[in-house]
Order: sequence, then structure tokens, then C-alpha cells
Amino acid sequence: MTSPAAIVGVGATPYYFRGTSLPQTVYELIGKAVLMGVEDAGLGVDDVDGLTFFAYGFDTATIVEMLGMPQVTFAHVVGGYGAGMAGVLDLAAMAIETGRAKTVVCIGAGQQSANRYGQALGRLPSTPDNIFHQIAGLGGPGQAMALLTQRHMHKFGTRREAFGEIVIASRAAAFNRETAIRRKHLTMDDYMASPMLADPMCRLDFCLETDGALAFVVTSAERARDLKQKPVYISATAQVANRDWGRGFFWLGQSDEAFTSAGAAGVAERLRQTSGYDPKDIDVACIYDHFSPMVLMQLEDYGFCKKGEGGPFVQSGAIKLDGSIPINPHGGHLSEGYVTGMTHMREAVEQLRGQAVNQIAGAKRALVTGGPAPHPLTAAVLSNEP
Amino acid sequence: MTYPNGARSFTPDFAQLIVAMDQWSEPYWQAVGEHRLQFPRCGKCGTFRWPAGPFCYKCRSQEVEWVTAGQARIYSYTVLPVMGPDKDAPPQWRVPVVVEFDGIPDVRLVSVLVGAPLDALAIGDMLEPEWLAAENATVPGFRLAEEKA
Repeated sequence: MTSPAAIVGVGATPYYFRGTSLPQTVYELIGKAVLMGVEDAGLGVDDVDGLTFFAYGFDTATIVEMLGMPQVTFAHVVGGYGAGMAGVLDLAAMAIETGRAKTVVCIGAGQQSANRYGQALGRLPSTPDNIFHQIAGLGGPGQAMALLTQRHMHKFGTRREAFGEIVIASRAAAFNRETAIRRKHLTMDDYMASPMLADPMCRLDFCLETDGALAFVVTSAERARDLKQKPVYISATAQVANRDWGRGFFWLGQSDEAFTSAGAAGVAERLRQTSGYDPKDIDVACIYDHFSPMVLMQLEDYGFCKKGEGGPFVQSGAIKLDGSIPINPHGGHLSEGYVTGMTHMREAVEQLRGQAVNQIAGAKRALVTGGPAPHPLTAAVLSNEP
Repeated sequence: MTYPNGARSFTPDFAQLIVAMDQWSEPYWQAVGEHRLQFPRCGKCGTFRWPAGPFCYKCRSQEVEWVTAGQARIYSYTVLPVMGPDKDAPPQWRVPVVVEFDGIPDVRLVSVLVGAPLDALAIGDMLEPEWLAAENATVPGFRLAEEKA
């Protein structure tokens, strides 16, 4: 099956430590990313006729006004907070395939000066459903995911050393990456000495809070061949919402099996059904790493190892740059920066163009995953082969 | 994780907390006010659902009957350091807990564990409710049923 659409341009602002992108507004950041993206593609803003977003998105009219887009004929949002991230490519490919738009820009951005994601749960107005989280004192996503992590350790014997291995690998990858915010070398002793924020998760298990914007230009595979950059084809995409996970850690009523997962089993299965996804075919995996234990659980959900064996798998060194499945060669959210997954999409594109800072030799296929969060959860497989 | 010798979780003050409820959750809160824990089961097919809501997710019926919960146990928990206004003072410890109950399959109550010895907690530990006063309702917290030696 050939891919109908390809990523032909990438734009990204610098990654700013939380709050330091001021006095720019988030729309200014978005504008800069879009302009860089279309220039990277060798196109102009006038060519853009589609916009896709996730996590409740941004205001289409504001962007169209600000940048003077003459006619946008497709503007859609995937829900699911960071879970919907990879779904922007699903929408873009759909727009191209159905002819609803010819040049789609997928946008993701964050600015945490006023609203820290780490305190997102505590800010929600009280409802009959979330009152229980308030009674418990669960103010942030990481605190709620610690409950999943604790049970994973209880059920499968997973050790903190495994989470440490994920953080250390992330930091090792970020070491030579200039865009990365945390680049200092880490040892397991450093990891174990990090203060506990939500037992069993320590400060180093929590990702960065970052300001920034990224934009990805998508067009037809046919047109992509005549443009400036080596095309990165959208080989497969999936969006899945199911009751097994539902609102996930915003609920904590997942099925017993899903409780100790990243909620991605359904997405992996959907990729298998629609595109013959096989983890053995993936050369590099850009795994949404807002919290290191959720990387381990995604490795299980996406079939890189068996359920419950994520601990021994990462402790074997499999996820390092020279391992059997290199994870996040850009340092990911844990070390590079956190713009709700879009930085992972950028890394996948750079890997498949052969331009990555930590290039995986011969990389042909990359998996990009949306973040464990309320469904729909999304994922995409990108390739430099049509 | 090793906590300071003898450290225990604190009991949050819910005096200012306004418990949000609706017609589906009100029977739960009424029972809690009488120091009972009960959960909603579909009146048609018998499937438990939680939080209390308008539909059975299996048969989509709106009928509900309330069932008294059996023994409570820790399904999962975490320990959070809570800093006061004085950043140099040692933290207090808050323990969010996910509780499961005998006789109430697939329901998990998200709550808080009070007075719990931090170094001696384990999934599966038996719990008993601790009734705490909120502004407009009683809130069920939990404590360990019997402390380990």
C-alpha cells in the first residue's frame, strides 16, 4: 500500500524553559513555526489550505488573520490532550486523500507561563466526577500516573532502576543536541538521589515544562517528490478511544489490565489491522515521554516487548542509541523539551531525512506515539519509502 | 523509598471543601453521611459503574440499585510530599489511594489514606473508612485496618 501523503516541511521555534518565551504570545510562536515550515518545504503561506490541531487546538480564524491565509478549506482538531498528537497527521492525510485540501499545516504549541501542565488536574473546576481526585490530593498528571506505576511494579516486579535507565538514555541522547534543555550526564546514583515527587516517581521521572511551537507541512506524496526536501511519507496512522482506558488517569477506573498500561494497546492493534504494523519493522521509536514509567508501558503496548517485561527490556540496553530499538535519539520530553509530542515528530522527520543529530544508520521507519492521557490515543508510522 | 523514621501521612482538612454532586451521585454521598459505603449497580444487568452516572456502560439501562461495599483494600497508592509556606520546614506526607472493595467488582474509589505509616504500606493492605467533615458533606478517607508489626 502506498502512502497518499508526506511531510515536506518542518518549522520549530526555539524550545524555551517554562515561561521564558514571553513577551511573545503563543500565536506569535505558532506564526513563526508556520513560516519556517512552509519555507522549509519551499512553499508559501498562500499555498496553505488546511490546518490540523490536537488537544483542543488553537483558533483557526486568529491564525488565518494573523498570517493572511487566503482560503483554508479544512480545519480540524483531534481531542485527547497530548494523546491526540500523532492524530494531526491522520487528519492531514485524510484531507489530502479526499481532496479537501492540498497543503495542510499541522500545528502544536505550548506556553506554560500562566498554566503549568504539571498542575493541570488541580485547576479543573470541581465536578461530581473529579471530586475524588481532589479529595485524594492528585493535582497533576504525574501524581496520578504514579498510581499506575506503583501497581505495575507490584504486579510485574518492575524496578525503579528501569525508569532510571530510560532517563539516563534520554540524557545521553540529549548530550550533543543543542536544542536540548537538560544535557548534563547522569548516573544511576544521580537518579536514585533525585527527590521523590510522587512515590515511586522522582523528579527526574517528570518531563520538562517548555514553551515553543512546531508546524509540519503535509501534501500529497506525488507533489512531495517535486519539492525541496526528501519526503517523509505518512505510512500509517491510528486514532482509538475505548472504555478500557477512557479518561485514563483522570478516571482511574480502567480495566485491571489497562491500569498497568499506557492505554495504547488499542492503537497498536488498530495499526496492525490497518497497515500490518510490526514492531520489528520500526528502526527508531519516538515515544511520548512525559513520565518515564509511561515509556516502559508504551514499549509493552506497542509490542517491543511482552506485557510486564518492560523493566528487563529497558535494563538490557535495548532502547539506547546503539540498542535494538533506539528510543528518542533527540532526548525527548525528559531532556530536550516538552511541546506535547511535536518535538518527537520533528525528530522522526530528521531521522528519515538522514539529518538527525544522533542519526540511526539506515533508518527507514519511525514510530511516533501520542501521549498516554484521556483518549483518543493516536500514533503514526513514518517512512522515507513511499 | 525510605521515609523519615515513623513518618505518617497527614489528615487533610476538608472543612472548606464543597463536594460537587448530582442526581446520580447523591445517594452515594447520602450514605456516606450515615457512615456507609455503597456503590451503584445496574438494575437491569447487574454491572457496577463508577463514578455514578446516567447509563450502564454494558446494557445502557438507566436503572440503578445501591449495594453496600465489603472489605476495603489498597489497589494502588502514592506518597506526595506537601510543602507548607515555610520552604525549609520538612514536608507533610499525603497519600492518595485507589481502593477496591469485596463484593463490588471493577469499582475503584479514589481517596486519601490518613495516619498511614509510610514505610509499611503495601498494595492489598486492608483498610477501614475514616469519616471526615467537608463543608456540605462527609468525605470518606481511609486508614490501615490493622497495622503491621
